[in-house]
Amino acid sequence: MSAPAAGRYVGQAVQRKEDPRLLTGHGRYVDDIVVPQMLHAAFVRSDLPSARITAIDVSAALELEGVSAVFTGADLNPGAGTMQPSMMAENPAAVVAPLTPLAGDDVRFVGDPVAIVIAESRALAEDAAELVVVDYEPRDAVASMEAALADGAPLVHPELGGNVASDLALPEDPELEAIFASAAHVVTERIVQHRHTPTPMETRGVVASFDPVTDQLEVWLSTQGPHEARRTFARVSGLPERHVHVRMGDVGGGFGQKFFTPREEQTVVLAAKRLGAAVKWIEDRRENLLAANHARSDVATVSLALDAEGHVLAAKLDHLEEAGAWPVGGTGGVGPFVAMLFPGPYRIPRIWWRSRVVWTNTAGRGAYRGPWMFESVAREQMLDVAARATGIDPLELRRRNVVGDDEQPFTMATGMTFSATTSATTLEHAARVIGYDDFRAEQARARAEGRLLGLGIGLYIEPTSTPAATLGVEAATVRVESGGGVTVFLGTAAHGQSIETTMAQVVAEHLGVAYEDVRVVQGDTDRTPFGGGTGGSRTAVIAGNATREAALKVREMVVGVAAHLLEAAPEDLEVHDGVVAVRGTPVRNVSLAAVAAAVHNAGTGLPPDVPRLLEATGRYQTSSPTWSNACHICTVEVDRITGQVEILRYVVSEDCGRMLNPMVVEGQVHGGVVQGIGGVLYEHFVYDDAGNPLTTTFLDYLVPTAAESPRIEIDHVVTDGPNPEGVKGMGEGGAIGSVPAVVNAVADALAQVGATVTEQPLTPVRVVAALEAAGA
Amino acid sequence: MKAAPFDHHAPETVAEAAALLAEFGDEAKVLAGGQSLLPLLSLRLTRFEHLVDVHRVAELHGITRTDDALRVGAATLQAEAEHDAVVAAAVPLLARALPHIGHFQIRNRGTVGGSLAHADPASELPTVALTLGATFEAASVRGTREIAADDFFTGTWSTALAEDEILVGTRFPVWAGRTGYGFAEVARRHGDFALAGVAAAVALDADDRITRVAVGMLGVGATPVRAGAAEAALLGTAPDAAAVTEAARAGMAALEPADDLHATGAYRRRVGAHLMETALGAAIEEARRG
Repeated sequence: MSAPAAGRYVGQAVQRKEDPRLLTGHGRYVDDIVVPQMLHAAFVRSDLPSARITAIDVSAALELEGVSAVFTGADLNPGAGTMQPSMMAENPAAVVAPLTPLAGDDVRFVGDPVAIVIAESRALAEDAAELVVVDYEPRDAVASMEAALADGAPLVHPELGGNVASDLALPEDPELEAIFASAAHVVTERIVQHRHTPTPMETRGVVASFDPVTDQLEVWLSTQGPHEARRTFARVSGLPERHVHVRMGDVGGGFGQKFFTPREEQTVVLAAKRLGAAVKWIEDRRENLLAANHARSDVATVSLALDAEGHVLAAKLDHLEEAGAWPVGGTGGVGPFVAMLFPGPYRIPRIWWRSRVVWTNTAGRGAYRGPWMFESVAREQMLDVAARATGIDPLELRRRNVVGDDEQPFTMATGMTFSATTSATTLEHAARVIGYDDFRAEQARARAEGRLLGLGIGLYIEPTSTPAATLGVEAATVRVESGGGVTVFLGTAAHGQSIETTMAQVVAEHLGVAYEDVRVVQGDTDRTPFGGGTGGSRTAVIAGNATREAALKVREMVVGVAAHLLEAAPEDLEVHDGVVAVRGTPVRNVSLAAVAAAVHNAGTGLPPDVPRLLEATGRYQTSSPTWSNACHICTVEVDRITGQVEILRYVVSEDCGRMLNPMVVEGQVHGGVVQGIGGVLYEHFVYDDAGNPLTTTFLDYLVPTAAESPRIEIDHVVTDGPNPEGVKGMGEGGAIGSVPAVVNAVADALAQVGATVTEQPLTPVRVVAALEAAGA
Repeated sequence: MKAAPFDHHAPETVAEAAALLAEFGDEAKVLAGGQSLLPLLSLRLTRFEHLVDVHRVAELHGITRTDDALRVGAATLQAEAEHDAVVAAAVPLLARALPHIGHFQIRNRGTVGGSLAHADPASELPTVALTLGATFEAASVRGTREIAADDFFTGTWSTALAEDEILVGTRFPVWAGRTGYGFAEVARRHGDFALAGVAAAVALDADDRITRVAVGMLGVGATPVRAGAAEAALLGTAPDAAAVTEAARAGMAALEPADDLHATGAYRRRVGAHLMETALGAAIEEARRG
């Protein structure tokens, strides 16, 4: 396994094209968009988790000077098209909540939008929103999966007849039960991962402008997918897609929250269309925490059967996933993926699973960096539980069960097949970098002094670039401009991934131009090819290979023209940094600018067999995921008095194939790891039993800051990905491996004094409670 | 998150500010650094028709030292006090508490008087003022008066200041002799409000006996509180480590912290006793070196 060599540009940590504007505060976001005579929107939201609306009085709000309109469900809901994303809207079998632009006869979570106020300023719109009087008849709500599943529980969506959105399970398996009955070790645990919310630094936002004369809708959007947004806006508004133009500028993070096109953005579009005006809505932080899609909230009872040597023989997984009231992206149901991916990088010969998705009167679930990652949380925690039960060291237990690098393709008991991953290698690398044996000795010394140190491992494989619906395809157009510069048009939607940098590197490498001479255009449905959006760790693989193909096609055109100009054979030419030269005779050369001039100047008279264009579109399509993998290991110290967790060291050994830009890869890993740490130790979106949200400001919803972020040591294992560019997706992975690594490290520390934790978040209070329960 | 409409007033003297407060009564609020008030206004958790912005009132700014007191003008920035050598020398406990307030960006805007008048029981400065027995100077159109720290903090976010009164300055006593100070707190993240915190000050005689001791806590009640039982246990003694531990336990046992989203009362009691032991231990150690 030798690492592929880096190219002249690909594989280099070139400086980011995004940095000069972003680092100097000159990014241009949706809130920077100003349209003449633009109006501003604010939503009136439910403050009850479940209630029938008996009356809405908007008269006082309408009387306020500067208020243009107040719309309720009665105004905007009739005639609105489906609000579901394309993959649900086009799937007649999909189970979806009956989502409307604004609440109809009732509200189903605190934050449900009841009315939209349009006024001359946002402040005025908020003043008017306070004057809208909504009469409610409160109903009992279900604020947790446990409450929703209880006999006689109130229904979140009475139309659907039950609180279970989906219930999938394998048939009973007597052979598996026999394995469990005779296994040397059986461990069972209830694993809980709590509710998070993605909290992008830039909240959601939209400016929608409708011209009733031309029937043209112009939208500026903070999004991860302008093309999907265009389709969504066309469906909900009834406008033809060609009359909907969606643009995005810089986007301050999404983490999945902006992957589909949420309800409020669609409602603002309908309001703008109704008014024939331009309307801006910038979500404030309270709204973002309250009503933008939440994430995680999973519970599973997991059992493993192991033989005396610690080989896993079988597994059982009974999984519950909370959908909330209005999940973004259909049911939000990634539950089956959690089950299908549960075996991860290990040989688990037999498995039974059940996965249920449950409605509750809470904010809807949606995508969040590694939406199905609970599989890694449940599996990696269980392996440590098994290690303690069998007395086998957790690293050694993983060694005995991990699928070797040379044992692939490997098909899991769930039917998923993965290939070209290096879990066994990254496990060893991470253990070596952290100094595994030395740490165990240090841990024992600290224990003798009464201090609690711990080490946790999170090993996972990740299906990236999963080709669901439109997500398996991407196109890229590369054009040499008349002066010789290069513009690349992509259907991607960067919101922190450095796509302008990495795709310019790909073009510079394969077309043979200088990195500085390439500009990437994305985020505009009128200018770029269709694209599935940026998310799902798909851009490097799918857009990257499309861009590569387009660059190579244009290179061939450039060479064809240059061959004519140089009177040389095309196969004798090479292209580097914008100069086409005869191989071995570099003085015989022509610049890309001269080639472009020849093509763009009709007087030059190129013969018919010479390319007349310097523009091409590449397309890449995949029908199966590209697997990447990593091993996270961290060490912690748990304060026995305060229950606070300090991360001592954090190591990642990862394989994302050939790296387009190692600096960008490491930035993505850093961000994901910090999100995972935040999720385990700090972030928790809390509802009380009645369904009232308790963490609607950053005073109470605690995101990790630089002060909580450890130094992260990264080891790269580089193997070729199964595509021409040799890449594998990696944007989400940091947030996947970090969670089990941190949980396991804390559990490892506590286990020394007989204390156990299987439920997140690991707050100081919970850690202290575990210590006290163990009498420690 | 836009505040409801208000009128912004920018007086340049205390007299003008007091006149505005007298004129508008409960419809007016003093705006200092805005680090607490503006979020509350933006969330519409509170609203005032009139904000009296004291930023331009020159006489509210500045730090002065006399023999037995350090006077900090109410509108003095927390960052200014934090980095002031006079503060560090005269009232070390104040200097040690200041860096625990939020983040430096907050301290660059937040004022000493603003934090004291806001009177959040989980914030640092009220506890320092109570612990050291500071004196608050208030002004109104009716005149000026002084309020002792023991009488100043009347409840969560409420003080003895009348509706028409403005906090002008605070005098922190300067302790003389062999003194030592400790400040310790536990927060969820760096810069968060403390789950519990302790400020401690001690003075020793030549035989290391404690002649003066003050212990205050934040985050364990509706107001900052003194741990009187701990003080009583230590006064007049030359405690060893076990005695300090016992005093801290006694000090904490007398308090009944409440549960909230971030910690239970039981957790606060456990951690509070530990912090008290830590802060007292550090204070005594420092005084013995003096």
